Amino acid sequence: MAKTLTLEDMAKYPFMPEAAEEVRKLGFRIDGLFEADYAPILERAERRVIEALTTSPPEVRYDPSLYKEDVEMLSFPVAVALVTSLANEYVKRRYALAEARRAYELLKRESEEKIVEIARKFGWRIRFSGEKAGLIKFDFALNFIDYLRNAASFHDKDWKLINKFVINGEVHLSKQEVARLLQEEIRRYIEGKIDPKIRSALPEKIFERADKIKQAYSSSFKELPTEDFSPSEATEEAFPPCIMELYRAAQSGRHVPHVGRFALTSFLINIGMSPDSIVGLFRRSSDFNERMTRYQIEHIAGERGSGTKYTPPKCDTLQTHGLCPGMDDICRGIKHPLTYYRRKMRAMKAKRVKESKG
Amino acid sequence: MDTQAFIQERFSEFYKGNASGIETPKSIENREFGFTLFKEKMMVRHKGFINAEELRDFIKKNAPSNAYYSAAYYSVPEAKMDEKGWLGSDLFFDIDADHIPAKCNKIHDSWMCRKCGLRGRGSAPGKCPSCGNESFDERTWPCEICLEAARVETMNLLDILTSDLGFSFSDIRCSFSGHRGYHVQVESEEILKLDSIARKEIVDYVTGTGIDVLFHGLESIRRDGGKLIAGPGLHERGWRGRAARGTYEFLLAATPEDLMRLGLKKSIVDEIIANKDLMLESWVFGGPWNIVRGLGLKGWSKIVQRGVSLQSAKIDTVVTVDIHRLIRLPNTLHGKTGLLKVSFPPNEIEQFDPLKRSVAFRNGDVKIYVEEAPKFRLGDDSFGPFKKQTVTLPLSAALFLLCKDAARVVD
Ligand code: SF4
Ligand SMILES: [Zn+2]
Ligand SMILES: [Zn+2]
Repeated sequence: MAKTLTLEDMAKYPFMPEAAEEVRKLGFRIDGLFEADYAPILERAERRVIEALTTSPPEVRYDPSLYKEDVEMLSFPVAVALVTSLANEYVKRRYALAEARRAYELLKRESEEKIVEIARKFGWRIRFSGEKAGLIKFDFALNFIDYLRNAASFHDKDWKLINKFVINGEVHLSKQEVARLLQEEIRRYIEGKIDPKIRSALPEKIFERADKIKQAYSSSFKELPTEDFSPSEATEEAFPPCIMELYRAAQSGRHVPHVGRFALTSFLINIGMSPDSIVGLFRRSSDFNERMTRYQIEHIAGERGSGTKYTPPKCDTLQTHGLCPGMDDICRGIKHPLTYYRRKMRAMKAKRVKESKG
Repeated sequence: MDTQAFIQERFSEFYKGNASGIETPKSIENREFGFTLFKEKMMVRHKGFINAEELRDFIKKNAPSNAYYSAAYYSVPEAKMDEKGWLGSDLFFDIDADHIPAKCNKIHDSWMCRKCGLRGRGSAPGKCPSCGNESFDERTWPCEICLEAARVETMNLLDILTSDLGFSFSDIRCSFSGHRGYHVQVESEEILKLDSIARKEIVDYVTGTGIDVLFHGLESIRRDGGKLIAGPGLHERGWRGRAARGTYEFLLAATPEDLMRLGLKKSIVDEIIANKDLMLESWVFGGPWNIVRGLGLKGWSKIVQRGVSLQSAKIDTVVTVDIHRLIRLPNTLHGKTGLLKVSFPPNEIEQFDPLKRSVAFRNGDVKIYVEEAPKFRLGDDSFGPFKKQTVTLPLSAALFLLCKDAARVVD
């Protein structure tokens, strides 16, 4: 039953296991890469990385008139080798996202059969749906666990499980939605391929080429920030559960939806964190845009626009947006995350005083 | 005789005769166990057992006041938390009357401020009105009305787990907690590895949190130059049907006050009340959406949202998301009641009588002095109410009051 992907498919989706198999069959070896015959492949591989670094939002191009199918397919593992040799978290995330976004654009235009075929290669339990609800007709039904694995980090309310049509353990979805979920699966998959452990196996020349990219595009390189911007552990300990979750998401570069960004930013400003530090916090995000982020933060801080400093939304609002992860004991007595923070800080101080008195 | 010692002796006798009935979780060797003992007030955690015999012997020997096991599976259950090696976790739901608003808690629940001793009825306030202290001793009561409310929530939960999320009854274990609620546990290979974020999505799904009813069929459509409202139908599946059925249920019982509380205009409220019968009957021909003029998408959203909350399952959300949670062991005694946590097949939820099936002690009478207790039932007999009086009761009823700290033993 396993259909095989065409050469065109493998050019479009070079991360698929079949493509890797094909590359092997062609007898392609990375140390032979620097022979003249392979120049177009090496060049395309470098372009892939550069495109990921210089486009915003990041996306690697797909243009069959520019690159031959085998070049497109063979350049992918080389690009992965380049990114691996760079050993930079930011570049790794950005590259994986750029490849995944390209796949998304292509998948949206594929037939239902092709999408199912590709999704199943990733172990998804997916089938055609045809189910109707009201005026909507759904294209696919996806096992809800497979759905959650990819959608749980999206946060936007139209991706919440509760806002989906779920029956008998399956989520009914449109083609575009499935393509978007696949983007997420592909992004994680490619990130997983960029494994620092294989660095030692890469030929010296790869490092040289990667270094050239690094020099030429140094302004697009970012070191992921470390501690310098974090509030002290003590203050972090006083964050309410909702803020803590958003804060952790931002720290680890996960996607934070608009409302969540607003809540987190306004919260941090109100407890006295500087806009600079907050920009630093969002820097890990793979779709980070410094100018926009800074603008938004300064706006919320009241340094721009109307000049009013914003306060974070009330618990009520956070709950309706699904941003309240469940209340703890302190939550039960308050209606606003800032009140939570003040209470807990007070309690922690009181405790510290008590402890120091013995 | 010391009341604590008396309770402990009864627990100990019980386990001597009944330890073999203790239900053990699957993969017992990968579970962490925890106990509270009568002597030490602290919880003994991070215990591991290689088989059911060893566990039962331990319980027989120590007669704990409460016995728990982890919903999680670990490679080394005895190790410290971050060294246990988490392998996965069952999907666990706790439905407790504490999380369901009921009017009767004003009658049977009470609290006492730990600092100044002020007493009150109902659930404890956030802050003591007299001294501002924030910690209380609370006494809640497993009353029939509260337990009935918990049963309804459990039935809602079971419906969502099976019809929507596709679990079968054979994956689900149901039990009465031995106090004020029910436990529902899904033991399926599928869900073992779900992280907290994914579990949170399931929690939101069953509680209706973050729902936008506009994703579930409520919409405004253009027709013949005008605007019409369309909504989900009673027999649809998923949250669409549930939202519709909840809306029906709400309208059926709605008073003008209920509607005002949603923030609807007085004139609209009057219209709804005047047209209520028509609205209820209208479901067979497309629903009540366009009967009341001036009631638009916004107003309907509020009503349907109320309907959603009637169909959701009010679970303790923190428990399900916590992948290291400890759960009471089935067929062990609850230290606050002397009743058993008992399991039953999920399809028997409607007939299940918690206050009968959980009775552990069947023989003997005990003389006790009762400080205060509302009327209660155990098995087929009712007892109380009592106030400052000495009575002789069957062991199970006496033990219940002693465990609740509402009575003491009289020699
Ligand atoms: S109750 Fe309020 S403060 Fe607590 S987690 Fe929810 S939204 Fe945050
Ligand atoms: Zn007080
Ligand atoms: Zn009650």
